[in-house]
Amino acid sequence: MFIARSEYDRGINTFSPEGRLFQVEYSLEAIKLGSTAIGIQTSEGVVLGVEKRVTSTLLETSSVEKIVEIDKHIGCAISGLQADSRTLIEHARVTSQSHAFNYAEPLSVESCTQSICDLALRFGEGAEGEESIMSRPFGVALLIGGWDEDGPSLYHAEPSGTFYRYDAKAIGSGSEGAQAELVNEYHKSLTLQEAETLTLRTLKQVMEEKLDAKNVQLSSITKDKGFRIYSDEEMKECVGKLEGN
Amino acid sequence: MPGFDFSNHNRNLALHAKGVPLPKATSTGTTIVGALYDGGVVIAADTRATSGPIVADKNCEKLHYIAPQIWCAGAGTAADTEFTTALMSSNLELHSLSTGRKPRVVTVMTMLKQHLFRYQGHIGAYLVVAGCDPTGAHLFTVHAHGSTDKLPYVTMGSGSLAAMSVFETQWKPNLTRDEAVKLCANAIEAGIFNDLGSGSNVDVCVITKDNTQLMRNYLTPNTREKKMRDYKFQRGTTAVLNEKIITKEDITKYVTVQDMGDGEPGVGEKMEVDA
Amino acid sequence: MAAMMQSAMPTSEPGYSFSQAPQSVAGGPRQHGFYPYTDNGGTTLGITGSDFAVLAGDTRSTSGYNINSRYAPKLFKIGGTGSANEGARIVLSVVGFAADGNALKERLDTVVKMYKFQHNKEMSVHACAQRLSHILYNKRFFPYYVHAILGGLDENGVGALYSYDPVGSYERETCRSAGAASSLITPFLDNQVNLKNQYDPTSGSGLEKVTKAPQPLSRQTVEELVTDSFTSAAERQIEVGDGLQMFIITKDGIEEKYMELKKD
Repeated sequence: MFIARSEYDRGINTFSPEGRLFQVEYSLEAIKLGSTAIGIQTSEGVVLGVEKRVTSTLLETSSVEKIVEIDKHIGCAISGLQADSRTLIEHARVTSQSHAFNYAEPLSVESCTQSICDLALRFGEGAEGEESIMSRPFGVALLIGGWDEDGPSLYHAEPSGTFYRYDAKAIGSGSEGAQAELVNEYHKSLTLQEAETLTLRTLKQVMEEKLDAKNVQLSSITKDKGFRIYSDEEMKECVGKLEGN
Repeated sequence: MPGFDFSNHNRNLALHAKGVPLPKATSTGTTIVGALYDGGVVIAADTRATSGPIVADKNCEKLHYIAPQIWCAGAGTAADTEFTTALMSSNLELHSLSTGRKPRVVTVMTMLKQHLFRYQGHIGAYLVVAGCDPTGAHLFTVHAHGSTDKLPYVTMGSGSLAAMSVFETQWKPNLTRDEAVKLCANAIEAGIFNDLGSGSNVDVCVITKDNTQLMRNYLTPNTREKKMRDYKFQRGTTAVLNEKIITKEDITKYVTVQDMGDGEPGVGEKMEVDA
Repeated sequence: MAAMMQSAMPTSEPGYSFSQAPQSVAGGPRQHGFYPYTDNGGTTLGITGSDFAVLAGDTRSTSGYNINSRYAPKLFKIGGTGSANEGARIVLSVVGFAADGNALKERLDTVVKMYKFQHNKEMSVHACAQRLSHILYNKRFFPYYVHAILGGLDENGVGALYSYDPVGSYERETCRSAGAASSLITPFLDNQVNLKNQYDPTSGSGLEKVTKAPQPLSRQTVEELVTDSFTSAAERQIEVGDGLQMFIITKDGIEEKYMELKKD
């Protein structure tokens, strides 16, 4: 893919003669450089887990925010250009609040994902003829987990504006190995706790650093507690349950 | 002292300036018509009385007696039409007594317009005057400001346009009595159904040289259907806090009590009550 | 809510608009008038039961003492598919200024249909009620001149009724009448639906008497009360008459009934 560099590289809205949008494809490459993020859906709820790359012993690990809340019932794990995710997350939060305000009901997880993908495509003109608002596609992928009236669900949203629903999904630099592991290990009757362990075990396999309670982060979305980021104590407990830790 | 009492005029002006509105009179929404025919004259009216958008009386009488052979259909403020026609009736009777002749329709018309003109439209009476006298059958309209018309067929009130549209399409010279009655009833019905101010039934009065026939509720095209539910309350639904029984004997000390028996009440119309 | 209706809605007399020509004193300032609202009369009514909701309205449209139409429905199906709203489960009734009522119905219907496309599910009455409130309040300073009532079934299949003032204040109720004859029908409903001023005949006497407790009404009872409300309103309110349209919303869909009212 990197061989055929041409003027089609520059115009973000211009197809190459082969029918490709290079800038969009490159944006997907950017995610492959990002830290690994994993999401698993169970009947009890959704688990989201990310690796935090601790590049320095002097880094305050709590300042690495790769899992964020969108609403009480929707959470999101990020891989890729962190700064780009800010725009998407802000948009998702506003959409969710506005839906609750207008309809007195929580936004469904799919609709939330859809709204994010609508924005992801705004490097071109909008669907209602709005002007292009961005100079390039986003360089970030999201795993969106939530609990709505249809129960738990997990979605993967890409800079290309496409999204799919998954039982379990890994994104980022270690996604290939991690996804293979998930395909092997996932089954419908996983409990939330088993999903936590599977997430950590999978992350451990693909991470360059040795996994500990400081360089990973877990969160869950359940019916009763909604979206929740695990505290340091909970992280220690979860990591402690892993074999060899 | 006869006549109107203006002693509250200044007080009411002051109240009006403060924003207190005038009390609302029962008025105007009405259809009244009249038509001459060979041998007499017919007048007709609807029977709805309104107060704003509310129906105050579903079966009121808008055909007023002036003299045995002179009748008047009234639109406008109910009180004004009633009092004005009663006053004319009274004065005409006195006039007739002192002259020893039968009263004439022009006389009533002239008395009415002079009376109404004096009050510059403040007496809200809009009338159709009709009758037979020794000079023949006559039909007039009199407006509240005092103007009058003499025509072979006339309409007045808020339903006048609906009624006139019937006259303008169906009227022809030299009507028979039955044709005239039918035409007038038709015109009133047009008012009843197309003018919100008019409704309920049709009253008709036919006056000939030697006879007057008042046909109260000549048509009743708007009878109420039976209600679906029974709204009679079971005895004891209303709480009674105290009870005192006054016998007929007790009241007899203060007023005369006359036993009417178990039959129908002797006077007045039957009130609408649930079974 | 009531306060807004009383001050803003011209109910005491048949309404006119566009009738005010510029008023001027010779050489003085000229006062111009812009009265874009008309009162088109008519009345609506809604009553709920344990598994149904009934909305009703007369079909007469008036201006002043004139009848514009003897069949101008005030009841609209909201949502469903196509212009016939097939499969809809929500009904909106609007009374007041008919043009605004139609505009409001078009807005809400579009919103509900778009919602289905965007979220892949039918909008609940609860969500629709909140949305309608926002649509009304969005025109806070140039309101839709209507009294709206929204009806359907809630998430538990229980009859749901929401009533609105012209600027979006709303409330879920079991019973509501709006429009020209609401002042005539409301006390009747208070007495017959909520059993106000009725005591249990079998209980004690005097101050010991116990008030009757309102029970959910059967569908037949409700339909009879609605019919009697409208035939009686047509007797005493000149702007009410011609036809009675009734929508009954159950789990099986929306059933429509029509009967003639007096035409005078």
